[in-house]
Amino acid sequence: MPKKYGFVQELIKNRTLFLMLLPVLAYFLVNNYVPMVGIYYAFVRFDFNTPLFRMDFIGLKNFEFLWRSGKLTELTYNTIGYNLIFIGLGNALSVTVAILVSEVKSKWFKKITQSVLFLPYFVSFVILSVIVFNIFNFEHGVLNTVLKALGADPVDVYSKPKVWILLIVVFYLWKSFGYSMVIYLAAITGIGEDYYEAAKIDGANTFQRAWHITLPMLKNTFVILLLFSLGTIMKGQFDLFYQMVGNNGLLYSTTDILDTYVYRSLKVTFDMGMATAAGVYQSLFGFTLIMVVNGIIRKINKEYALF
Amino acid sequence: MLKNVNKSAGVALSMALMASVFAGCSGSNNGEAGASSEPAKASPSASQSSSAAASSSAAASAVPAGIDTSKKVHLQFYMLGNAPKDLPKVEAEINKMAQEDLNATVTFNFTTWTDWDQKYKLLLSTGQDVDLIFTADWTQYQQYAKKGAFQPLDDLLPTAAPALNDFVPKDMWNAVKINGKIYTVPATYQEYVTNGFVWREDLRKKYNLPTPVDIPTFEAYMDGIKKNEPTLQPLAIGSDVRGSLNDTYLDVFRKKVGALPYGMFASYDKPAEMTSYWGSPEQLEDLKRFKSWADKGYFSKNELNEKATNQEKLVNGTAAAMLGDNPTRFNQTNGNMKSLHPDWELGYTPFAVATGYATPVHPIHNGFAIPASSKNAERALAFYEKMVLDKRYNLLTQYGFEGTNYTVDGGYYKMVGDANTNGFPREGMQGWAWRNPEFMLFEPSYDGVKAIFDQLDKVQKPDIYTGFAEDYTEYQAERSALEQVEKQYLFPLLAGQVKDVEGGVKTFMDKAKKAGLDKIQESYKKQWLAYLSESGIQ
Amino acid sequence: MKIKEDRSSVWFQLIAHAVVVAGSILCILPFLLIVSASFTSNASIIRDGYSLWPKDFSWEGYKVIFQVPDEVLRAYGVTSTVTVAGTAIGLLLMTMAGYVLQRKDFKYRNFFSFFIYFTTLFGGGLVPYYMLVNNYLKFTDSYYALIWPSLMTPFLIILMRSFIGSAVPDEVVESAKIDGAGDFLIYWRIVMPLAVPGLATIGLFLALHYWNDWFSSALFINDTAKYQLQFYLYNIINTSSFLTSIGAGAGIILSEGIPSETMKMSMAVVVTGPILLLYPFVQRYFVKGLTIGAVKG
Repeated sequence: MPKKYGFVQELIKNRTLFLMLLPVLAYFLVNNYVPMVGIYYAFVRFDFNTPLFRMDFIGLKNFEFLWRSGKLTELTYNTIGYNLIFIGLGNALSVTVAILVSEVKSKWFKKITQSVLFLPYFVSFVILSVIVFNIFNFEHGVLNTVLKALGADPVDVYSKPKVWILLIVVFYLWKSFGYSMVIYLAAITGIGEDYYEAAKIDGANTFQRAWHITLPMLKNTFVILLLFSLGTIMKGQFDLFYQMVGNNGLLYSTTDILDTYVYRSLKVTFDMGMATAAGVYQSLFGFTLIMVVNGIIRKINKEYALF
Repeated sequence: MLKNVNKSAGVALSMALMASVFAGCSGSNNGEAGASSEPAKASPSASQSSSAAASSSAAASAVPAGIDTSKKVHLQFYMLGNAPKDLPKVEAEINKMAQEDLNATVTFNFTTWTDWDQKYKLLLSTGQDVDLIFTADWTQYQQYAKKGAFQPLDDLLPTAAPALNDFVPKDMWNAVKINGKIYTVPATYQEYVTNGFVWREDLRKKYNLPTPVDIPTFEAYMDGIKKNEPTLQPLAIGSDVRGSLNDTYLDVFRKKVGALPYGMFASYDKPAEMTSYWGSPEQLEDLKRFKSWADKGYFSKNELNEKATNQEKLVNGTAAAMLGDNPTRFNQTNGNMKSLHPDWELGYTPFAVATGYATPVHPIHNGFAIPASSKNAERALAFYEKMVLDKRYNLLTQYGFEGTNYTVDGGYYKMVGDANTNGFPREGMQGWAWRNPEFMLFEPSYDGVKAIFDQLDKVQKPDIYTGFAEDYTEYQAERSALEQVEKQYLFPLLAGQVKDVEGGVKTFMDKAKKAGLDKIQESYKKQWLAYLSESGIQ
Repeated sequence: MKIKEDRSSVWFQLIAHAVVVAGSILCILPFLLIVSASFTSNASIIRDGYSLWPKDFSWEGYKVIFQVPDEVLRAYGVTSTVTVAGTAIGLLLMTMAGYVLQRKDFKYRNFFSFFIYFTTLFGGGLVPYYMLVNNYLKFTDSYYALIWPSLMTPFLIILMRSFIGSAVPDEVVESAKIDGAGDFLIYWRIVMPLAVPGLATIGLFLALHYWNDWFSSALFINDTAKYQLQFYLYNIINTSSFLTSIGAGAGIILSEGIPSETMKMSMAVVVTGPILLLYPFVQRYFVKGLTIGAVKG
């Protein structure tokens, strides 16, 4: 059991390790922890000529706009809903494709497809939204042009909020699965060949090997991706939603998330206090969630927990 | 247990660090008397040139008597938009002159249009070295001034920039006052950015349609286009349905006094009679008209998601008209169109024809202010005086180098090369604010705009809206919530995409009231009336 | 046994090929649209929209960009320098941290992991960060302002920790320790070679992050000579969206003109083109089992 001077002892014993960790710790201290004083902006009335800690303390007044419109529940619900779908489908898709790609025998095929699958990551949402508008635009869109040519009635996609749940999810997956696929591919590469050899000798076929060896070995990676997405579950993907939906209020009931709401609300007000307040709400939510989930994971398997 | 101790030790350490950092911050923010910290704060370029300039610092004879220029300063000048390519050359030349005249040098900084509003806010709120910054109604000059982001100039002007003080007419100085103080130096060039109908004139002639001069004739024009050119969209609005449809419509059809927010309405003739347009029979009538336009296919069902600009759509022949653009931009659009399609042409009728009046830009519209954090207010003002009144400074910063960037041909400005190859196009530094009518050079194509301006001059009346500085601290939360409600429930109505207009308005009003509309409107009206009586407007 | 194995394996290969080919087509289509649009005249894009093959072929977008090429070429220089320097430094620091944090005999690894992870949850917002970089670190208008903000992320560190953890068996470290190797030496000589796929992945992500960054330029750079490449793309896009959003009442006429759709697309191609080559280059390090064998043998 550690004694009172445990830290000092550890410091001396593992001084090289501490030294190796030091730059990173210093970086986060300066780059992330020091600016956290700004969280205090959420509780004061902003003023140009007063230092932060001398501004008027106004309690939770800056948080008020979040529930003023009566939308906070809906926004929270939408935000979490989308993120859960993103996490679930996103990981399922990228794991599947990563396994498939890694099992493909032909080398050149593998190389080309890997690169191609990673391409959407480079397309910015601004440009994507223009392409999407070109496809679904009621009057001249590709979709309706085809429908009309087939003699069917044109559809107005931009006035159907429900459809956008599907579209948003599809575009998210399309753009982002390449990134996590690469992570999984790298993890698969790290699995020792000897496991597979042993399984082959035991008579396991490709499906069985994927199911019994590859998948379990990816658990660790999955947990990391999961915990990082859960921590920011109230944020994220602003560009996707903002660019796709923009000013179209018809679609807000299903596509408005906290970030887009805050952005629109504060664009007219320029208020630092309120912007910070929204961030604090998101952070507290993520923080609580992550403490719970990490705690559960720790209980199940200490190795997989993040901290 | 032990772990906790260590953890809190770590937290305490980081807290201590933060505290020390912040102590430093408030110190430098307070530093009005911060002459001692100045050397440390000066940017590297400033210290470099200061040593080079030490010898010539005696040559400060051309300086206004009121200010002390014995100490060399470096000014940070901030403008919106993108920097022209030849900026370094212009800056070097300006610095040569400013060094001699004012013992000062300057860096011209540009925010670009990427997140400019964010950057503007950051520059003003984090105590950066900014000595001069652009202001306008659309950069929220009134709000920033009210909140103390700029230095009052009343006492500085007579000593630091006496000539500029005399050059700008007294009523313009009065017009930019916020809470009785001057916070910005207004531009004196009088132009109009009022709206007018824009349409394809060649098609109008071809199908013998009426010339749009008011809403009924405009409707008839759109109707004619729809019938004769079914694939052409008669009206381009774009995703900003509030600005490019509702506001312009109210402007011409109901003579709204200005872009009053929160659904407030007052006409130009009776500004004190302020009512709520939202929820009124008039609004219902207008919304039904917009809906009928949408139903007839005058504009796209997906206008709210449109990505191309209205001007682009006109130029490239996918739309036939716009409900409102200013004369200068109309002229530019027309020029662009003619270069692509020589046989097409655009027509323009100012809204003044229908309303009977036009308001020239308010002095707040273009100006330069000195941020509260500036330590060189006097020199900055003296320098700005040079920019406006000294022809060498002015021409150089508006048009670049004569010969390399432009030539003067028969009194007209002529660009060398084209906008892609020329490193400093006309007004390449977005120098709207320091335009000096006496030195201004125009392209021949601008004559069309001048003709419109002359026409508007005959019916000009003052802008009584822009001088009003709203104070929304009291209802800030409600205001943000309302913005959301407006986008979600009103925009689809404006775009004619709600089948049941009455029901839609009802939902919108319910939501708006819940967000606090009544409180906002009441407070806004009170402030507006106070403003009117203060400035003697009936 | 051999036959059964073969049949399932054939099926697997078939499914794999089919799925991957379908996915690839979906992924490449929009990309082709962009490339095609970059070679289409602006009028045709506005009129007819996008198509897989230019309806009205034109170089105008590229011509505008490369007519005066100094800006774009200089921005290539800035972005390349920042990407190489930032990736090298960040990768070194992050692998060291990742290695330390996965060492089971390092007592405070959980505390420090949490210390790092916590920063993804809470932040002070833009204002204090802007002040930090400009007022205290004084990085304005320097390469530091471009390198510093993206140097490391908690995600990549934790990912590195996991990669090293699974790629380097504890016994290898233990036996090296018994041989008397110091911690740094173990990291440098043994861990780094074993973690090559992880290094390649993290390095790739970090490099992409640097290449795609434009926000640092937007916030901290006034000197046009230090704009990142992506910033040119974003500035073109933002200039036109600004012009759309600003009403006629603002009376803004830009002397440089409105960027055309073609130009946006050409710039998108110019900006993303080179970095696309990075992935195939990194791919060669995703080869199974190579490194493990090398060390063991």
